[in-house]
Amino acid sequence: MARIIPGSPAKEIVDTLRSAKGYYLTNTARDLSQSDFKNRLLLHTDLIAAEKRDNAGYFSLEITGGASIHVDMLRKQVNPFTKLRKLREKMPNTMFQTLCRGVNLFGYRPYPKNIVRFTVREFAKYVDVWRTFDFLNHVPNMTAVFEEVARAGRLNEPCLCFSTGPEHTNEFYVKKAQEIIDVTGRDITLCIKNHGGLGSPVRIGELVDALKQNFGDIPIHYHGHNTDGNDVGRIVEAVKNGASIVDAADSAFTGFYGPPPILSVVQTLREYGFHPEGLDEDAVIETSEIIRDERVYYEQFESQIKGFQPTVQIHKLPGGAMGSSLEQASKGGFLDKMPEILHKELPRVQKELGNYWSVTPGSQILWTTAVANVLDGERYGNPSGDLRNLLLGKYGPFPFYQPEDWIYEKVLGENWRQVLEEEGGIEEIADIDLALERYELSSLIGVEPTDEQLVLYLQHPNDAVDFFKFEEKYGQVHVLPPSIFFRKGGFYQGEKLSFRDYHGKEHMIEVGPSPVTNSGETSVYLMVDHHQTIYTYQKKTAAGGDAAVQVLTKEEIIDLAKAGDVRSPFNGKIVEISVEEGQEVLVGDRVAIMEAMKMQTPILCEMAGIVTAISAKKGDTMHPGAKILKIDLNE
Amino acid sequence: MKTRILVANRGEIAIRLIRAIQELGYEAIAVYETPDEMSSHIRIADEAVCLGPGPRSDYLNIDKIIRAAKKSGAAAIHPGYGFLAENPYFAKACEASGVIFIGPSSEIISNLGNKVIARKIMGDAKIPMVPGTANLSQGKEGIREALGFAEKYGYPVMLKATSGGGGRGIRRIESDKDMVEQIPVARAEALAAFNDDSVYLEKVVVNPKHVEVQILADSFGKTLHLGTRDCSIQRRNQKLVEIAPSMIQNKELLDNICETAVLAAKAANYLNAGTVEFLIDSDMNYYFMEINTRVQVEHTVTEMITGIDIVRNQINIAFGKPLSFGQEDVNIRGHAIEVRINAEDPKNNFMPEGGKKVSVYRSTGGFGVRLDGFVYQGYIIPEVYDSLLVKLTVHGFTWEETVGRLRRCLANFTISGPKTTIPFYQNIANERDFVNGDFDTSYIDTHPYIFHYEEDSSEASKLARFVAEIHYAKENPFAK
Repeated sequence: MARIIPGSPAKEIVDTLRSAKGYYLTNTARDLSQSDFKNRLLLHTDLIAAEKRDNAGYFSLEITGGASIHVDMLRKQVNPFTKLRKLREKMPNTMFQTLCRGVNLFGYRPYPKNIVRFTVREFAKYVDVWRTFDFLNHVPNMTAVFEEVARAGRLNEPCLCFSTGPEHTNEFYVKKAQEIIDVTGRDITLCIKNHGGLGSPVRIGELVDALKQNFGDIPIHYHGHNTDGNDVGRIVEAVKNGASIVDAADSAFTGFYGPPPILSVVQTLREYGFHPEGLDEDAVIETSEIIRDERVYYEQFESQIKGFQPTVQIHKLPGGAMGSSLEQASKGGFLDKMPEILHKELPRVQKELGNYWSVTPGSQILWTTAVANVLDGERYGNPSGDLRNLLLGKYGPFPFYQPEDWIYEKVLGENWRQVLEEEGGIEEIADIDLALERYELSSLIGVEPTDEQLVLYLQHPNDAVDFFKFEEKYGQVHVLPPSIFFRKGGFYQGEKLSFRDYHGKEHMIEVGPSPVTNSGETSVYLMVDHHQTIYTYQKKTAAGGDAAVQVLTKEEIIDLAKAGDVRSPFNGKIVEISVEEGQEVLVGDRVAIMEAMKMQTPILCEMAGIVTAISAKKGDTMHPGAKILKIDLNE
Repeated sequence: MKTRILVANRGEIAIRLIRAIQELGYEAIAVYETPDEMSSHIRIADEAVCLGPGPRSDYLNIDKIIRAAKKSGAAAIHPGYGFLAENPYFAKACEASGVIFIGPSSEIISNLGNKVIARKIMGDAKIPMVPGTANLSQGKEGIREALGFAEKYGYPVMLKATSGGGGRGIRRIESDKDMVEQIPVARAEALAAFNDDSVYLEKVVVNPKHVEVQILADSFGKTLHLGTRDCSIQRRNQKLVEIAPSMIQNKELLDNICETAVLAAKAANYLNAGTVEFLIDSDMNYYFMEINTRVQVEHTVTEMITGIDIVRNQINIAFGKPLSFGQEDVNIRGHAIEVRINAEDPKNNFMPEGGKKVSVYRSTGGFGVRLDGFVYQGYIIPEVYDSLLVKLTVHGFTWEETVGRLRRCLANFTISGPKTTIPFYQNIANERDFVNGDFDTSYIDTHPYIFHYEEDSSEASKLARFVAEIHYAKENPFAK
């Protein structure tokens, strides 16, 4: 069977799949990185694997999208577009795949339509396969992406987000698929997005069969996670029932919450008489041999808890959220509460909130609500802004049923019916003036931005600007191997670090001494390409001094707020200061919005008065108890 | 006790002067303001006197400097360039207190510093000057005179208020219509601003070459020239690149200019080292501009092609010694180019980069290379003074060899920390018109692409900074 190469028209790709006897494989490197390594697998490692992966003959390599756009800039300091260009140089024969959250793109909230279209256009220059989903399976949330992808001549792969429960019937999914096909036409691949790895092999087999019965000409792409250790079983049933493409990843890096190993899938399906189309098994094996030694550098990003989690069938957290939730629990000191949160509260909240699909950003809403419910002691007592928006229907309608009235009342207040009446429903987000945004960005970074820079800025404004400034100062650091990038404890004196820069030029840095002066100034001596360079660092402000942040208890923070001293209630970032100095405020007015764990939470006024001092500003990182602003009695 | 000379300056020129003083067997006394206490001119001097906190005000304080000279037993003061170098009151104060001022007399400085008096002296000596009118007559007659002048010399012309100055009361006239309209307006304005409505015209020399002649004159009546320099590569009257001799391929013209310079110096009764500046238009007419009564920044190029130490001769002349050579001994040999390496960002309107630490300083060297600088690795550039770090002067037998040497030296010159003008000069050294020796004062404006270069902050140094961060923080602070 001929290999499907990048640049093929969508119809040609789909026709090839329709006539294929065997099945194809997608290497979901992006999902592996996100689910088992907190998205930290570096471009450096992907480039080491690139040649062998290209030889392996996959249907596609999922290497961008999801949370990776954000993490690329925030934690890996690589431009997501540069990443695609560098990989394309080394992988000329493999289609690149992205995961797009529909109207939420690669972020956590809906974007105006013109941003959606602009973003898709820029990424479509590099991305061949567009896997697009909406956490409410609300098709209108995806149509702008569908249209732009088709316009760019790329392959649309709409998703049916999959979950379990009495509402999640074949009839529902077949009807949903019809709704999608009515918009996209039939030259697509249809993805079953099993982001939690839910359901039994039999259930997945039945679903694929139902879809094939109704849409025989549409290739099905099964995507799953191995959280319960049984995804190979689901994959086998999917293929047996007619799925054309399935997802798996390189065994050298497989963990617990991501995709299963490619080779296990291939070996198992062979027993059933299914042949992997275009696959070079030797190249699959060689890829893992080449990158296996790199895994040690990523140990710190692996899950805090090791082992499969068959209880995912109860709590339904998606693979991508497993690692980060465990990390939050570990950092927040509530690991001991996890059984209660995961196995009792989360399923309860899930049911109460309509049994929709637990995937970004819906999974974050479920998770933060469940955590708050357990830790605060009062259920729905401290609702996040995003939960409020969910109930108001800002993301789209509930697919099966609405939450009960008491939840509306808790979240929206006593007059919730009126609030729902006045504010409810999807708002058409007005297009924004891109020229104005471009101007804004140019003034922030001091140069005329490229279209790609503007796209990244529109996705994650603060973090993109920080990244552009970082790049200007430190260059293209993605060339550094993980042994340097993730080094702990500093380098040895005399250690020689060699690497090739972005232009391919070889460099060597020899680490010299780092003496500290009496005044606490540290000088780091490096021999850069045999020339001595000195970097000087001022003494860090001592912990425990006046500047040290006082850690206040939750009760203290609430007491202070009632006295007009508004403090940050948790670790997070200021997204907005909603008031100005001198402004009159009433109890319940929103004075600021903070963001933590991807969720936005309004900070409400606990005392009527006048805003007299504002200590925090947009973008500030806050500790619990850090000052936000002060309200004095209006006398 | 050895003869002592006080150096009333800072930076690279202080070092240049100290070297000449010490080579003559004398002792050099440095002065400094506290922001300059890290400056290397203090270290190589035989003694240093702190003038005060400044900034700049103490280098300009005549009383303090004369007191420092008296206290340290200095017989003479060399003012260098800038600061008090062309301040007649300073020369006068030296004369009054019995300290030798190394330079011309206060009277000469005063006369040549005044445009009107200087123009009168040169006019009397028949030195060619930019054509101009006397004060225009009132009314229609004045307009007729003006149009006649324009017809003879062509547009554009400058219409200037006689009592104006400092750039005020000047307008550029491009046509007859313009002239008729502007004269009454200019008069009205001048009357209101200076209480004098007289105006006159001067021809505008469009895109001239800036050529100057180095003069040495002793107190025994000997006045010599050391050939020409071309300082056309300027931005807003700030010289960037200077060469010697001028690249004009017309020996007779250059000889005439040099002889005219000597005549001009004699007309002014000039003493000591000076520079006579000329503008040369595209038809090779030359016009006297002014005489600078100091040692110039770019004196190095003349020293390289003549082998004559100008500062040493300045001191000898000031001490009443005759010049030890004649005009026939002055031979021009080869070519020299000087570039002023400044801590500035050419891409950002030459914004100074003061306050930054020089983290790497690797200078160049070898045959035909001269460096006049004062910074070193670890030096923090004070924000309160000018941004000149080092002058790189190269000398070669042919122009081609000299440009090649300049390129080589710039490529091997590394200064990290502040941005510098080095990459900008690298572009000039590779630019075709410069390589062909073909440039005038419009050079920077007509060659905008010389501003296009990659910042010196190379990938390697950026990545090294990142490695240093990881090393210092004991983990990658961005990847947490």
